[in-house]
Amino acid sequence: MTMSTVSRVRRQLPLSPWLFAAPGLLVIGAFILYPFVSTLINAFTDRRTLIEGKFVGLDNFRELLHDDMFWIGLRNSTLYVVGVVPALVLLPLLLALLVQKNIPGIAFFRSAFYTPVVASIVVVGLIWVWLLDERGLVNSLLETIGVGRVGFLSDQWLLLLSAMAVTVWKGLGYYMIIYLAALANVPRELHEAAAVDGAGAVRRFLTVTVPAVRSTMVLVGALSSVAAFKVFSEVYLMAGPSGGPAGEDTTLVMLVQRTGTGLTGRVGYASAISVVVFVVTVALMLLVLRADRRDES
Amino acid sequence: MPISRRNLAAALAVCVVLPLSACGSGDDGGGSSDASGKIEGDITFQTWNLRANFKDYFEGLITDFEKKYPGTKVKWVDQPAEGYADKISADAAGGTLPDVVNVSPDLVAPLAKAGLALDLDKDAAQYKKEYLEGAWASHQIPGMTGTYAFPWYLNTGPLFYNKSLFQEAGIDPEQPPTTYDELFDDALTIAEKTDGKVATLANVPTVEDFGRYGVPLMNQEGTAFAFNDTKGVELLTKYKELYDAKALDPQALTATPESSGKKFLTEAVAMNPGSALDLGNFKKQAPNLYKNIGITDQITSTGHVNMYVMGVMVNSQSKQTPAAVAFAHYVTDAEHQMSFAKKVAIFPSTAGSLDDPYFTKEDGTDETRVRVAAAKSLKSAVNYTPVLFSEQMKTELRNEVAKALQGKESPKEALDNAVEACNRLLQQQG
Repeated sequence: MTMSTVSRVRRQLPLSPWLFAAPGLLVIGAFILYPFVSTLINAFTDRRTLIEGKFVGLDNFRELLHDDMFWIGLRNSTLYVVGVVPALVLLPLLLALLVQKNIPGIAFFRSAFYTPVVASIVVVGLIWVWLLDERGLVNSLLETIGVGRVGFLSDQWLLLLSAMAVTVWKGLGYYMIIYLAALANVPRELHEAAAVDGAGAVRRFLTVTVPAVRSTMVLVGALSSVAAFKVFSEVYLMAGPSGGPAGEDTTLVMLVQRTGTGLTGRVGYASAISVVVFVVTVALMLLVLRADRRDES
Repeated sequence: MPISRRNLAAALAVCVVLPLSACGSGDDGGGSSDASGKIEGDITFQTWNLRANFKDYFEGLITDFEKKYPGTKVKWVDQPAEGYADKISADAAGGTLPDVVNVSPDLVAPLAKAGLALDLDKDAAQYKKEYLEGAWASHQIPGMTGTYAFPWYLNTGPLFYNKSLFQEAGIDPEQPPTTYDELFDDALTIAEKTDGKVATLANVPTVEDFGRYGVPLMNQEGTAFAFNDTKGVELLTKYKELYDAKALDPQALTATPESSGKKFLTEAVAMNPGSALDLGNFKKQAPNLYKNIGITDQITSTGHVNMYVMGVMVNSQSKQTPAAVAFAHYVTDAEHQMSFAKKVAIFPSTAGSLDDPYFTKEDGTDETRVRVAAAKSLKSAVNYTPVLFSEQMKTELRNEVAKALQGKESPKEALDNAVEACNRLLQQQG
């Protein structure tokens, strides 16, 4: 190899990684970076679906402060996090402990618990709407036992709780799989040693299992809190496009969809709401990770 | 060549600046809007959820058009009903709107304002006389001059009721309500007699209901909404009484036309508006209900029933305007509207078509009875939905109505708030 060839190769080398990365970068640029930056820019304009906007500074954000529907959306999305995340951190762990053992027929239960995860959210939503309808199966059962019909889909709070229940029901299997992987790495000797020391099942769970899967619990907490804050499908399907009675069950992402779509959509305003959703989800992630770091130290 | 920091920075800057181009001026280019040239070239025609049931009809129509005008080629695309407006808005924003588009008046309004709908009064005025006057006017936009779509099919329908539920409540099933007062009285009776288990209506009042009740929806100039007048408050107060007595289904606050239709199908509610098209559905999906189905006229205080209008718009940016206009007219002319009407229970918007014996002679069946009655009422029917009433406005009205029904606001406060919100949205539309 001559000196000139060596220097040519040296000069070309830095380009090679970029060429390999180019397809990925293009996809990221087109489908992640571009929409993200567009949303940021639109948030400061009065752009509408068919009309290019002009720069309006912080007007959209100022309007948000006086928009009742925004506060309702923020309240419901926050309540969703508070209601759903603890259940999605704990219940899948308990479920994973139940199906962890290798006993005959356990594969059936693992599959059964995982089925809601692979089911289409639209189908799931429709089934639950039928079940919880004023004349649905659940209300018929309640009526039979003398409780009377309950307005699962007509009461503002029951509707939100019903949607939360569906989210938890659908998410259990997904997080259960994550926990199963984590539990497989917990040394059996630790449980055996604790048992020898006289620890019962509950104590072994608290002193051995929980510390061993703590980082997984943090991960589940972070993932489920971001998903819960951005909830759309479950509430949309159960509460209808208007967001429940008088729109009281509207979440922030539903508000983005309602405000920014259609031929008369206010894209600029919807983008401003999206920016708020983004900031809050990033804050949620940081909060969970910071709490984890503090616990570790 | 190595990538210098400067080049990398430039590339990143392009990534960031590129979206800024989206905020540029809205100056649109596009093809000629002259419709008088030679009819030739390739055009795209978009329908609204019609392929599933009418594939053969449209394929035949397109083949005939291409034969009549050699050199033309029509590509037919059909979009599902769900999210149709979103699909159009994405196409319109992306510059890929088809040449000929199936629209309703409320979809035409924003497209016309954005300069994307061809003004037919200017470019295809010779066809105006072929259509019913009211139908032609249905695609005119307040504040703008011109007509922005060919009228296509019209639809209206009776009020269906469940005779056995009426009978159970002690109401003569052969004497259905014909006025609003009778409707409200019957609804309260049914709720009382069934201990609130059977509601009569399943949906909250919409803007069409206010119109049919005789409430002025907009001011004379069409620049502001006005449905918060005494009559509007009166209607909402009546509905509040129905809601409290469970004569209005408890899930009405979140209902959609589809969900309330299902409630009627499962005999959970006693009355539901519908069209001639529904009779076939009842026969197939709910034979028990079909045996007990009662049919009565739409209730109206104005003497004019509500009608829905479909249109066919020509994209003003089309590169083949003569072919697009010719095809839009071909789809909506008297001959083709008539043949389409005979395939499905809809009504033509062309002048004189409703006088055809198909729409005037009964043969003793329920289907023809509904068809003849509907065709008769269409001659004086009104499309009560203001063309400027957007989806966002519908949501505002629905939410305020729900607050009034729940007792969180008085009917007057609720309607005042709804009008204020709708006017704000109207101003933002420009």
